[in-house]
Amino acid sequence: MKQYILEAKNISKTFGNVKALEDVNFYLRKGKIHGLLGENGAGKSSLMNILSGIYQPEKGSIFINDVKQKNLDPESASELGIGMVHQEFRLIESFSIEDNLTLSKSNIYQNNFKEAYEKYSEIFSLSVKPEKTISQLSVGEKQKIEIMKLIFNDSKIMLLDEPTAVLTPQETDQLRISLGTLSEEDEKTIVLISHKLKEIREFTEKVFVMKNGKMVAEELSTKDVTDDNLIELMMGNIQKSIIDKSNTPGDTKLSVKSLEYVDKVNNFKILDNINLEIKAGEIIGIAGVSGNGQVELANIISGIEVDYSGKILINNKDVSRRGVRSRKKLNLSYIPENRLGVGLAPGVSVLDNSIVRDYFKTRLGPHLSRSKTENYLESLINKFSIKAPNSKAEISTLSGGNMQKLLMGRELISNPEVIIASQPTRGLDVNAVEAIHNLLVEQRDKGSAILMISEDLDELFKLSNRIHVMFEGKIVKSLNIDDADINNVGLAMAGIIE
Amino acid sequence: MIDIQLIGLLNATLQAATLLFIAALGELITEKSGILNLGVEGMISIGAVAGFMTAINTENIFLAILVGVLSSSIFASIHALVTVILKQDQTVSGLILTILGLALSSLLGKNYVGRKLVTKLESITSISEPTNIVEVLISQNIIFYIAVLLMISTSLILKKTMFGRRLQAVGEDSKSSDSMGLKVAKTQFIATCVGGAFAGLSGVYLTLSYVPYWTDNMTSGRGWIALALVIFGGWKPYRTALGAVLFGFLEALVPRLQTYGFELSPYIVKITPYVITILVLVILTIYKGGKTGAPKNIGVPFFRENR
Amino acid sequence: MNNLKLFKRQTVNELSTFYSFLIGFLIAIFIGSIILLIQDKSPIDTFSLMLRLSVGSINSLSASLNKAIPLILAGLGISIINSVKLWNIGAEGQIFLGAIAVNFIYINTQINSPSIHIFVLLVAGFVGGSLCILIPAITKVVFGVNEIITTLLTNYIVFGVTIFLINGPWKDPKSLNFPAAAYVGEEVFLPTIIGKLSFGFLICILFTILAHYLKNKSVFGFEMRIAGGSAMTAVYAGINAKQKAFIAMLIGGGFAGLAGAIELLSQTHRVSTGISQGFGYTAIIVAAITGMRPLGIFLVGSLFGALSIGGSVIQTIGVSAYIADIIQASTLFGALIIQFFFTYQIKKVEND
Repeated sequence: MKQYILEAKNISKTFGNVKALEDVNFYLRKGKIHGLLGENGAGKSSLMNILSGIYQPEKGSIFINDVKQKNLDPESASELGIGMVHQEFRLIESFSIEDNLTLSKSNIYQNNFKEAYEKYSEIFSLSVKPEKTISQLSVGEKQKIEIMKLIFNDSKIMLLDEPTAVLTPQETDQLRISLGTLSEEDEKTIVLISHKLKEIREFTEKVFVMKNGKMVAEELSTKDVTDDNLIELMMGNIQKSIIDKSNTPGDTKLSVKSLEYVDKVNNFKILDNINLEIKAGEIIGIAGVSGNGQVELANIISGIEVDYSGKILINNKDVSRRGVRSRKKLNLSYIPENRLGVGLAPGVSVLDNSIVRDYFKTRLGPHLSRSKTENYLESLINKFSIKAPNSKAEISTLSGGNMQKLLMGRELISNPEVIIASQPTRGLDVNAVEAIHNLLVEQRDKGSAILMISEDLDELFKLSNRIHVMFEGKIVKSLNIDDADINNVGLAMAGIIE
Repeated sequence: MIDIQLIGLLNATLQAATLLFIAALGELITEKSGILNLGVEGMISIGAVAGFMTAINTENIFLAILVGVLSSSIFASIHALVTVILKQDQTVSGLILTILGLALSSLLGKNYVGRKLVTKLESITSISEPTNIVEVLISQNIIFYIAVLLMISTSLILKKTMFGRRLQAVGEDSKSSDSMGLKVAKTQFIATCVGGAFAGLSGVYLTLSYVPYWTDNMTSGRGWIALALVIFGGWKPYRTALGAVLFGFLEALVPRLQTYGFELSPYIVKITPYVITILVLVILTIYKGGKTGAPKNIGVPFFRENR
Repeated sequence: MNNLKLFKRQTVNELSTFYSFLIGFLIAIFIGSIILLIQDKSPIDTFSLMLRLSVGSINSLSASLNKAIPLILAGLGISIINSVKLWNIGAEGQIFLGAIAVNFIYINTQINSPSIHIFVLLVAGFVGGSLCILIPAITKVVFGVNEIITTLLTNYIVFGVTIFLINGPWKDPKSLNFPAAAYVGEEVFLPTIIGKLSFGFLICILFTILAHYLKNKSVFGFEMRIAGGSAMTAVYAGINAKQKAFIAMLIGGGFAGLAGAIELLSQTHRVSTGISQGFGYTAIIVAAITGMRPLGIFLVGSLFGALSIGGSVIQTIGVSAYIADIIQASTLFGALIIQFFFTYQIKKVEND
């Protein structure tokens, strides 16, 4: 008897020195929605990437319908009916929706594309024409196309890697209904990866839990297991610290006045009348679904983006027309959302990346003496407990957490007065997240004014003194932390203000 | 009189354009798959010498074309091996392909310098001295018509067929294409070899028809102009053809300028196509505001497990 | 059942470039041997002859090192420009324009002190090389035009200008069949140090150290690395990436131009097509094979200089000089192939 449609046994995979997966077992029942729960970095994505043929495991075997698969690659996985929605979209941006849905050789609606598209557009409440180019779609729409792609490619097993990460709470609800329809009517076997308990509870029947590359719980029945139980499995004994917010803020360190930023090509306002004030010893959180102007706001405050109207004051000094460097000299630090690519330069050594903020200062120059820079890096490594193979190693050989610690350390070591931290913990494991949170709080207590942009509501609630919600370039809601809850912030994120 | 000169100019334009266009079209296909091959000059050279040697030794013109095309394609597979399979830098590999191709063809062709072809590629009709435009168009040799055919079919394949869409998908976003189950390495490998084959055909055209003899470095930068043509054409076959005709016209016009009464040093006149190529590239880049139409993934080696 | 699968190595051996070069060179010698065997020549005899005639005596050794000067200087220029991840395929043209600039200044100035005169002419060569890359640099930085194509095309333009000059305005009436400009006076010839070894070699050593400092020790070098690594990081760090790219290109072009000046003042003594024999192209191989490291460029440049001398002398026994080119190009191809095994590893996968 076929009990499982897919079975993976003793899967192991390492990246360099990091054991991403260790003897992991995983199995799926036909037509059911399975949850895969775990903190960032627990190995959930690695496991899914192995099942869809993208990563090669070093050890282990995979059975599909009881047949052992020896050479699983994306093509054969797709032929076997395994499809995956990745965290970063795998869509050809410059192609139309129709092209993206039909490119794969496993596609089954080549001839009756129109009808199929209509049918599933309805299930997903999607109202765009299939001729539209992917790059013109919103994030939510792209997500739907990603899932439709699996259906069009006749995937019987659908692996969804954090599909709700980019969705508003309301869009998430809608996804839940669509997935339910798919599993019931089309007998699709679905895996939903998430690190959010609530979703796992609402979406799934069975749940697997991963921690530090190991499967710590297999096929629990979702309705029988308690939240406390799941949290303990997922995080072990780590106590999430509660942040003391009783300190009294000092003088205003950063003010942003009637900021406006216009996309000149499409002539619409990316930022519209933004006003902010941050005092010393205060963390202000910016909530919002990404793409609502947060990146631009951070870039303008840090001096990267110059073509805007409005005023930026650091320590009551108008820096609106000043460049990046003079703002740095007023001791502003910026931890950009795009860790590798903006904050750190790929293809360049750990050493070079460690001096990006302060290289023009005399303590390192004028000749960038090797010993001085090495010492500087050494002090960062010690102070922020960064693990790096050696100073000459290319930056991307570091793990995500260590990259972020290097970046944070570099930006924080000179005790900045103003810090802009954008998505500071995205994609990091639970220990790294704790470490980074502690760094920010420590800095707050030293008197820094901190602007924290995040999509992670837990993080925002935990750290912020006050939360502003951004939607379509405006601050649509401002709440003291005591008045904020998942509901009013979530609705504001979706643009619904009562 | 003017008419005959004009007809001659037109004829020469078409011939020069054919030579440039075939190589450019091959590079276009390679680049569409996301592989940049800077070895066009070397590949043309290999095709040219291989075709010429075969023609001298066998006196069989079709065998010569075949050998020229194949050897250039095999030569291009070095680039495919190094960049697609071994994922090394495409710029370096392509440049070396040019240097190696020029050296290798000079070595191979050493004993063929100055030899005369017994059989060369002739016009497909019996018109040897065309007197009007129609006659010019019907009096070209077979490769000209192959080029036209290739232009139409390449455009159709890229636009209308799933095969063409998939090729472009790989060049646009190899990671996404791979996760859709498309064969990235195979596509890129084949596209590189096809590009080589086209360059070989261009080389054969050079030595069997355009200047029917062999001498060292006779490609004189045409491979590089072909590369520029791909940019000029915005990675579109018809526009690339248009560019080729424009450059062919310049190349044809230059030696004729004096007959039209321009007093210019022939040496200075000779460099005008290169100057104009740079000018055109600049104007084009400004005009398009940076959106050149280049495949997004061009030059980026693909390894599935890269994160 | 065992499967072979490809994995990326997390750390790459620091000496991988060196090993790749070494093995690549052996592969190239092997390929060269095959070509020689096909031509009925003994590889051992040919290579030992090449060795003897390129490094066997003070004279041949100095000839080899003289040949290395333009390879090294142009290679250094390429490596400086590559710091911002741009390519200079125009070193050949820059060498020619450097020489043209020297002759232009020589004709149009009157300087009595020979050492000052030589110094001025060397500077002229550097400036000439910078001028040659000026258009590609402007079009790259201002408009974003692909520099690979533009620097390459300038080679053909400058070569055309050279031909024009030596057949027209600068043609030496005394040189009958061979078009060339008139010789420069002996007072501006670069002196020799040992044997035939030109003073240019000392300049070459100086510029190697300079390039090493610029790339690896200076603030400018750091800024170039960041700008080359990620344009966004540069903006973030307050580094003007375009300005760095522009300056790097002018300096790199200048290095190649200086090579042209030294060629003229120590070897050809006049502007002719012989100023460069593809040095600008070979320099690309030299730079790429060393992973753009100045000290490596100095060593490999010297080796390739000897190889070129060896290649040209074996023509006397009926072996094509192109053998040297082929060995040089194959070395790089071989090195690229070996480099793959340093960055990736093929592992057995237990699939029980």
